[in-house]
Amino acid sequence: MAPSAILESRASVELDDYIIDCAWSPDGRSLAVVCSEGTVHLCEFGERESCVHELGMHALGALAVAWQPGGARFASAGQDGTTAIWDAGAHRGEHVRFRPGRSVVEALAFSPDGRWLAAASGRVVALWSTEGERLHEFAPAEGVIAALAWDRPGRDLIAATKGGLLAHRIEPPRFTTRRYARPGACLTAAPSPNGKVLATGTQDGSVHFWYLSSGRAGEMRGYGTKVQLTAWSSNGRYLATGAGADVVVWDFAGKGPEGSRPLQLCGHTERIETLAFQPGGPWLVSGGRDWRVMLWLPGRATTPVDVQLGDAEATVARFSPDGRFVAVGQRNGRLAFYALLPP
Amino acid sequence: MSPAARIPVTVLTGFLGSGKTTLLNRILTAQHGRRIAVIENEFGEIGVDHQLVIGAEEEIFETSNGCICCKVRGDLIRILGQLLKRRDRFDCVLIETTGLADPGPVAQTFFLDEDLREQFVLDAIVTVVDAAHIEEHLDVMDAAGEQIAFADVVLLNKIDLADEAALQRIERRIHAMNAPVRIFRTLDADIPVDRVLNLGAFDLERALATDSSFLEPQYPFEWAGVYAFAPGRHELCLAGAVCAHDHEAHVHTHDGGLSLAVLEAPSADASGLEAQIEPAVRVFAEESVLPDSTATIVPAAHPWRLPTAHDHTHWTLRIERAGTYAIFCEHAPGEVGLRVAGAGHVAERHFRSHHHDGEIASVGITDRRPVDRQKVNDWFSDLLQSRGQDIFRMKGVLDIRGEDRRYVFHGVHMMFDGRLERPWGAGERVSRLVFIGRRLDRAGLEAGFRSCLA
Repeated sequence: MAPSAILESRASVELDDYIIDCAWSPDGRSLAVVCSEGTVHLCEFGERESCVHELGMHALGALAVAWQPGGARFASAGQDGTTAIWDAGAHRGEHVRFRPGRSVVEALAFSPDGRWLAAASGRVVALWSTEGERLHEFAPAEGVIAALAWDRPGRDLIAATKGGLLAHRIEPPRFTTRRYARPGACLTAAPSPNGKVLATGTQDGSVHFWYLSSGRAGEMRGYGTKVQLTAWSSNGRYLATGAGADVVVWDFAGKGPEGSRPLQLCGHTERIETLAFQPGGPWLVSGGRDWRVMLWLPGRATTPVDVQLGDAEATVARFSPDGRFVAVGQRNGRLAFYALLPP
Repeated sequence: MSPAARIPVTVLTGFLGSGKTTLLNRILTAQHGRRIAVIENEFGEIGVDHQLVIGAEEEIFETSNGCICCKVRGDLIRILGQLLKRRDRFDCVLIETTGLADPGPVAQTFFLDEDLREQFVLDAIVTVVDAAHIEEHLDVMDAAGEQIAFADVVLLNKIDLADEAALQRIERRIHAMNAPVRIFRTLDADIPVDRVLNLGAFDLERALATDSSFLEPQYPFEWAGVYAFAPGRHELCLAGAVCAHDHEAHVHTHDGGLSLAVLEAPSADASGLEAQIEPAVRVFAEESVLPDSTATIVPAAHPWRLPTAHDHTHWTLRIERAGTYAIFCEHAPGEVGLRVAGAGHVAERHFRSHHHDGEIASVGITDRRPVDRQKVNDWFSDLLQSRGQDIFRMKGVLDIRGEDRRYVFHGVHMMFDGRLERPWGAGERVSRLVFIGRRLDRAGLEAGFRSCLA
């Protein structure tokens, strides 16, 4: 029997500008949102009423936002080359702002314990406290850092760059780096939640992965275009990848995906911009330039379980930490909240 | 997205000191009503009101398919991706490259990345050259020739620093490499913005059709003149100028001198000259001969080699029989100061010469017969695989059999983009192609095209 579940629209707020990125607070009550003109917002999301506070700016545009795990602060980065830490609690507003390097900061990632913020500026990655103190700066990579992600224990920080993935091991005061090399440009950094695999999508239209226990590498080709989205299911079984309008899911159960046929999830008609797996659950959400948000259950169906039509291109979709809600940002500045109602 | 909605991108190249930054500042400050997003090769060097200026750190990505010429600019992929999120704030994009940059990776970025290919269109590559120094640069640096080979528009800048003969010589040299390029002479890079920005895919057909000289084959000589000579001795003068741009690759250059041939012509007019072109090509294929100590040359079935030493600039042309004669000269008279004392030519013609500048040249093809789409695809595919490294640019319009619309294509190295565009009007159907590259095989390209005829 086909699975059934729906995304039920609950609320929306209007920010009037292309939504670049958003991040949920750990309690699932607030969202930090950054827009292309550079505004930084805090959206408080209630069942009856939602409100928006504009906290500040990044001149020339914002690029990324990340919420501190277990905390009441979040970080944003922009074209102005600065990273700002914002207070979302009683003293709402800018807490501290610093300039991590000469270049624009394109990627931010908090360690799972919330202590360190990793910020990538050009070819350099550094670790910062939420007070703006620098703990460590790693040696410059071969190319600009395209993405950052922590593994679940918070021991390794994975950076995607030209020529491969860099796994920075953080055991203060020791900092070491291991390189997972492949030619070409890596666009995403995706350590599996079960700690077994590192994966990356590439500019050349392929997915590369490494089994961490053996070091064995593998590759999946056949994409028509660059693979700019990767997302693991929370149990580490499925790796969802996005390239153009295609959502392709690889099953890492058993002997792994090599030589297997992937699950091709058919539904979007234009480029997908965002992919997110449910924390602690099996559901996958995608959103794209076809104005649609789709709900999927990989392994059970290759057609969408539910489709929601927005009123503009979907640019970002994020599950709440409890997996019960999805926030979807759109090109026209609308931020919509959906409840995921399982069967 | 329809092609018309794609955002036009202009790529600005040119050596340090050519006037590139002056042009950029003019474009940014001129009142032209366009909102331009500028991607500079450094952080915020120029502060400009109302315009979006973004610094970029050049980062080359090699693709992993093993082809060394498939390089793209990773930083541009990211920056342009970000710009798309603000696309209602600008109308076009201008990318400045560093002085010595090979324009290939920038141009290829718009082919290799599918997202960028859908959203942006490479409108034109504009190369600024310094009239006072470009000849020297072309002689010693491959990058100078490549920047010209890639260009759709060349600004010949600082024209106050070169005389008319030099400017003409430079223009011929540029056209010899890149036949369809449009050249504008400028002072202080002063040019109406609509000559360099948003050319509408540089109206490809007009560019290909304007100057039909690229359809001509190339010759071992650059100039010919027809003279009426009485019997006797005529004085041939070279103004002491050493050839400004001799090149080792030239088969007729042994010692930095000048080759010329003297042939009888059937009439004292243009048709008499035309009739002797093919015979002159055969003459130039022969080994050249140095005049003996009397410094005398005569009409002959071989070219004469005149050393251009400073102490020897006068030669004697001995004519036995009154009549009309054509002198075919390796270089144009303006360049080498050639003249015949007391006699002016009654007709002349300039030719495209084949021996310049790292063997960079253009091959043009025009044909009124329709082509078969599948055959064209196969041919391009083979051609780009085998010759892509040497083909800097290719562009054209094809009349595809059974198709009402023009098939418009362009390519950079092995990257290719083609689409059906406007419908043909009555009587307009004609295919025009041009290839610009190094060591191009004209006969092979022509044969390849013929194999595609429907």
